[in-house]
Amino acid sequence: MELEALKEIDSEVRALGAQIVVLTPELERYTRALHKKLNLPFDILTDLHLKTAEQFGLVFTFPDYLRELYKSFGSTLDRFHDESEYRLPIPARYIVDSNSLIRAADVNADYTIRPEPSETLRRLKEILRTETSPHGEQKNSNGEDDRT
Amino acid sequence: MSNLNNRLEEFKKTFESGAPPYNVTPEVVAKMHRATDELKASGIEDRALKIGDHAPEFVLFNQDHVEVASKDLLRKGPIVVSVFRGHW
Repeated sequence: MELEALKEIDSEVRALGAQIVVLTPELERYTRALHKKLNLPFDILTDLHLKTAEQFGLVFTFPDYLRELYKSFGSTLDRFHDESEYRLPIPARYIVDSNSLIRAADVNADYTIRPEPSETLRRLKEILRTETSPHGEQKNSNGEDDRT
Repeated sequence: MSNLNNRLEEFKKTFESGAPPYNVTPEVVAKMHRATDELKASGIEDRALKIGDHAPEFVLFNQDHVEVASKDLLRKGPIVVSVFRGHW
């Protein structure tokens, strides 16, 4: 539901010169299927072993009773994440500006509540309005490392 | 634009009512509520990065096995980073 809702704001986000990326701990074989099924206009990135989500401070480990509960549902997070621990990120949405600064942050430990895409769009517009030159100052043809 | 959280709330009501296809019991719902309450109480929301913090750099594979670097994305403009827990 969340990804479909993000899809609805994608063209407006792009028109503002920004882009959406989704991070998930799920392996590529699952993100590929999901991406195809929802026909998403933005990337889903595999945050393998939750390394980036950890840096954002969003990761928690399931208590035993919750892990057993998910297993009883047939959920196999270990298979989806390539790790034996049952860990997930709490839902979060950030707006990061071209200086790598976080300009909007929406996190909630209750996974049944998700950041509202219309609110994300509103914040993005607000941020771009307050910037005299949102982007375009940095050179494109600099000798950045090509990390492949 | 339809409201995502209204839709989520509706889904939650159906799910927790024990209706098919999920058929959850009140005990299961209670456990899930307990987990969320404990997570809230753990202070995880306060420990997460906030406005004004530097976002971590990342280089990750997308769904087509193409490497995507946050640095390259940010050169074009701001990014909306949505952290998604997946199927669960």
